[in-house]
Amino acid sequence: MTTPRLGHADLGLGVGLRSPHYDYILEHWPAVDWFEVISENYMDSQGRPRYILDQIAERYPLVMHGVSLSIGSSDPLDREYLNGLKALAKDIKPAWISDHICWTGIAARNTHDLLPVPFTEQTLRHVVERVRIVQDVLERPFVLENPSSYVQFQGSTMNEWEFVTRLAEDADCGLLLDVNNVYVSSFNHDMDPETFIRSLPHERIVQFHLAGHSNYRTHIIDTHDNHVIDPVWDLYRIAHELTGGVSTMLEWDANIPAFPVVHNEVLKAKQFVGDHLLRAETGDAPGDLDVQQGAQSVPHPLHFVSADVE
Amino acid sequence: MSDLGLSDLQRWFQAVVTHPDGISVGAESEEAIAIAPLSRNELESMVTRSEKLSAQERLSIYAQAYFARLIECLGESFPVLKQTLGEELFNGFAFGYLQQYPSRSYTLARLADKFAQFLHETRPSNDEATADGEDLHPSWPDFLIDLANLEWNIADVFDGPGIEKITTLNAEQLLDVTPEQWGAIRLQTAPCLRLMKTQFPVNGYFTAIRLADNDTKVDPPSPEDSYVALSRREYIVRRHELSRPQYELLVALQDGRTIAEAIEHAALAGGMSDDDLIKNLPSWFGAWTRHQFFVSFEVT
Repeated sequence: MTTPRLGHADLGLGVGLRSPHYDYILEHWPAVDWFEVISENYMDSQGRPRYILDQIAERYPLVMHGVSLSIGSSDPLDREYLNGLKALAKDIKPAWISDHICWTGIAARNTHDLLPVPFTEQTLRHVVERVRIVQDVLERPFVLENPSSYVQFQGSTMNEWEFVTRLAEDADCGLLLDVNNVYVSSFNHDMDPETFIRSLPHERIVQFHLAGHSNYRTHIIDTHDNHVIDPVWDLYRIAHELTGGVSTMLEWDANIPAFPVVHNEVLKAKQFVGDHLLRAETGDAPGDLDVQQGAQSVPHPLHFVSADVE
Repeated sequence: MSDLGLSDLQRWFQAVVTHPDGISVGAESEEAIAIAPLSRNELESMVTRSEKLSAQERLSIYAQAYFARLIECLGESFPVLKQTLGEELFNGFAFGYLQQYPSRSYTLARLADKFAQFLHETRPSNDEATADGEDLHPSWPDFLIDLANLEWNIADVFDGPGIEKITTLNAEQLLDVTPEQWGAIRLQTAPCLRLMKTQFPVNGYFTAIRLADNDTKVDPPSPEDSYVALSRREYIVRRHELSRPQYELLVALQDGRTIAEAIEHAALAGGMSDDDLIKNLPSWFGAWTRHQFFVSFEVT
């Protein structure tokens, strides 16, 4: 019998730490439950990003979230990267470390994108084996996230939620359920997002992600550049019911507004938890049919810290 | 084609979505065909279509994102160079760079490492520029390379090792050195001290661009050998203009030469008499210790 959240704490409502908010956070120390940090932005830093992270680590619970593990790639695991992750984790003591069910490149290249894997028995065996290695190296709770995707492969022999479920159970790892990604991928692949969420092993879900996206009518791009839309909040409510509530975090990676706006966005989650199970009005969230026109946006991840120079 | 193994599928996918000419050409490229002999019309044997998009349209989302994302990142690495060139021209250079030097690092912080080198490798020669009748100043590529080098070094100093958590050398400590020992000491320079020699005064240009409002055009400077020290205090990169003798002196000290050797080198290379140089030393070292250029010294 697996315990809810695999026994990990419900950290509450968190925000993704982003460099435009550094000064605000240092000045105000806002009442945020916890922060999620992009591992790659800090693991090699010997400058201001790491200096700021160390201060934040003294005051808030942290979770490390990576974009470069490439757990699904056929290339060998990058041991230098893994050692860097482990060293950062030793210093800032995250509640867990997460990355995505994806690959980022092959033949030693990195596209810096979260590329989709085919959902096959071969992929499953490959990823399960690598997750076990990663867990052995990191010696910390390891959690995998469902990415947004824009293609699926003819060779897949199972659907995404079956792949995710079997992966988590076979590798004995946690899941980071990105509710927005479920919505995005379901739209792009003509799937039912509620079925997706209801089919997952809920006791293995230790964290939620929420974010905004860009709807181009024929497809949705996961841009993390806006408020969370109401249909995603509806899915969040369902996921919350099914899991009993887990650490929830908002990602905002482009057109990043002031910190209070981002923080307030994740605080809207309070409307969907506890006894308040009716659909809440989120006010400024764009609706499902708020479609985008013109040039296509770039999906995340684009996590780059610019230099401060006088 | 749907039964490709994981490794082949990933090699095919990467070849297709990172091809500079797009999905169709990518699918029929030598690399992709060697793995999966498909025409551009047969992509659905590999990737499913959705109710609204074809396999090719779906793959194109990744292809567009690949270059757009990394070009955007390079633009953030070289904001002044991008402003100087204009977005279209800068993006063209970035597009070429990504084909020549695709990322091989887990971190975007290393994406721009070879960009200045790429500009150097692909710079038109003065002869070519003239033969094409282009309105190019003969040294324009050198200016761009200098500027790229400056911006890359600023970023590298920003997130590299610094002196914020260590004690640096102050002027009083140097004053304790006896005159007899003075020439024989070696200074340990700060790990964040970066000394640059450029063919154009790009540091001044960098300042002018940052101070100018959006509507003000800043003309690129004329060629002039220029010298700048980059360092970091309180986690912010600081830029210090240097004279030629100052630059030569600091380079020699950073190389581990004694002060006497460094003075001799600086006077010779910097075109300043020993006496004049020595007269300037108190004010120079006073400023450099305030800027925390040195962390320690040893008497040899």
